[in-house]
Amino acid sequence: MALLEVAGLTKMFGGLTAVSELTFDIQPGELLSIIGPNGAGKTTLFNLLTGFYRPTSGTITFNAIDITGCKPYQVTRHGIGRTFQLTSIFKKSTVLENVLIGKSLHAAVGVWGSVLRTPATRREERKIRENAREILSFVGLGDKEDKVAGSLTEEAQKRLSISMALATEPKLLLLDEPTGGVNLEEISGLIDLVGKIRKSGTSICLIEHKMRMVMTISDRIVVLNYGKKIAEGAPKEVASNNEVIRAYLGERYAA
Amino acid sequence: MEAIRTVFSPKAVAWMLVLIAAIAVPPIVGGYVTSMLILIAIWTIMCFSMNLIFGYTGQLSLGHSAFLGIAAYTFSLITVKLHVGFWPAFLIAIVFTGFVGFLVGIPALKLRGPYFILVTLGFAVIVGVIVLGWIDLTGGANGLFGIPRPNPIPLPGGGTLRFDSLLSMYYFILFFVVLIGIFCHRLVHSLIGKRFIAISYNENLTESLGINTMSQKLLSFTISAILAGIAGVLYATYNAVISPELTHFARGMDVVAYLIVGGAGTMAGPIVGTLVLMTVPEVLQILPYLKTLINGIILMLFIIFLPNGIIGWFNMNLGGWLTSRRAVHGSA
Repeated sequence: MALLEVAGLTKMFGGLTAVSELTFDIQPGELLSIIGPNGAGKTTLFNLLTGFYRPTSGTITFNAIDITGCKPYQVTRHGIGRTFQLTSIFKKSTVLENVLIGKSLHAAVGVWGSVLRTPATRREERKIRENAREILSFVGLGDKEDKVAGSLTEEAQKRLSISMALATEPKLLLLDEPTGGVNLEEISGLIDLVGKIRKSGTSICLIEHKMRMVMTISDRIVVLNYGKKIAEGAPKEVASNNEVIRAYLGERYAA
Repeated sequence: MEAIRTVFSPKAVAWMLVLIAAIAVPPIVGGYVTSMLILIAIWTIMCFSMNLIFGYTGQLSLGHSAFLGIAAYTFSLITVKLHVGFWPAFLIAIVFTGFVGFLVGIPALKLRGPYFILVTLGFAVIVGVIVLGWIDLTGGANGLFGIPRPNPIPLPGGGTLRFDSLLSMYYFILFFVVLIGIFCHRLVHSLIGKRFIAISYNENLTESLGINTMSQKLLSFTISAILAGIAGVLYATYNAVISPELTHFARGMDVVAYLIVGGAGTMAGPIVGTLVLMTVPEVLQILPYLKTLINGIILMLFIIFLPNGIIGWFNMNLGGWLTSRRAVHGSA
């Protein structure tokens, strides 16, 4: 059974249809890439999946539960983690604090426990602190926990934003351009990280522009153009699809 | 070793010195200054309250005069008219204020930025009008008087702790300042505090990390209302008389000015800001109705030139060895 099932998903902004009658699924353990020209509706799709936008119509089913219309925090608690296109981290907080916030949904802490520093609260805080450290070493930021997040390099900030999403313990991780704005030399490190996350059993849905990366790491690719799905399949099938070539390169290049 | 280092850190020493000064100065300086310090202490509590919701959670409320007023009037009404005892009345007043904060927060906190600010301002204006207009209940412009002082507390040694002198009232209120200061310090450095701060930095990101930002904002707002309520009760019992002037929405704006001048999102900011902005007009003998105007001018200058306030500037320029920046915390 599919982990995520999207059926007939449509989002209209006034008269503009950003996402139109979209149907696709993601299997457990799969790495699915969403590609398409600028403005194709990829980020809108992520915002729909994670509850930041309400779909105009259609349903989203995750783990056999209908999550259409859930609030973002509820979607996260159901097991979908995400990163944002513009690297979103708490720049003024330390690296560890960033991950602690991501872990915080798993901690049962109350006001009185926090103020009186009860043993139970301290145990809870210690537990998630240890978890957060494990995640940081998993993404390769183990030695940077006390750094102010804004002082990290762009690449390390990308890693941090991924580790924050991982801290919520997602079954499905949505990555919005994880290598955007990163030096060429540093991209392979991030690709390795994506592979490592996948090996740990998390399904991944990726938005990317870098074709070589998409072609090598994806199990399947969904191609969007003007909010519609124009192709879907294994990387090789998609790369030779006329419709896709037309969308990317124009009429002249299509066979 | 660790414990010793914590106790003797420059920051801890500085706080100790401030506390010693706060205890030692009033008996020396006499009644006039002590009565000033009492008002400063009460407004410092208001500032702690504002700091929680604005400094740490990022939601600017212009409605805190209403919470101050609601608690002060509730406390005064049930002690003066219903003869409820001091402590039960205290408890009822702040719980009721917290409940009002909770109810107002539910619709208001759904809004963001300027819309939230406007709703809280509207709430403050409405409460001000009700207090002035519901003469049968509140006494209208005459206000309420004959508000009791705390009951004497029997001491284990046989004596009693009485609150009829100015100095004893000062220590009574200082006790609450210290208590609330510790409460806020521990709360903002806990995981709950980290959630509040995260919301102030980026609400969408916090929400995407599985945190119900609405319920966290509501928690912060309700606690903030209760703290403002404590300030209201303390004012009523100290002054023995309350008037609608207390609930004027400009009082809520004064608190915002104190906090921004002191440094929002810092522990020392509320104390420093209140101390400076309440002392300066007093020393310069400025007419009361000009105070708000001057507060406004000072506030604008600070927003333009020192947006992080006195303590924020201090932290940035002196390396934060005395008062910590909130970012540096939490790893300890």
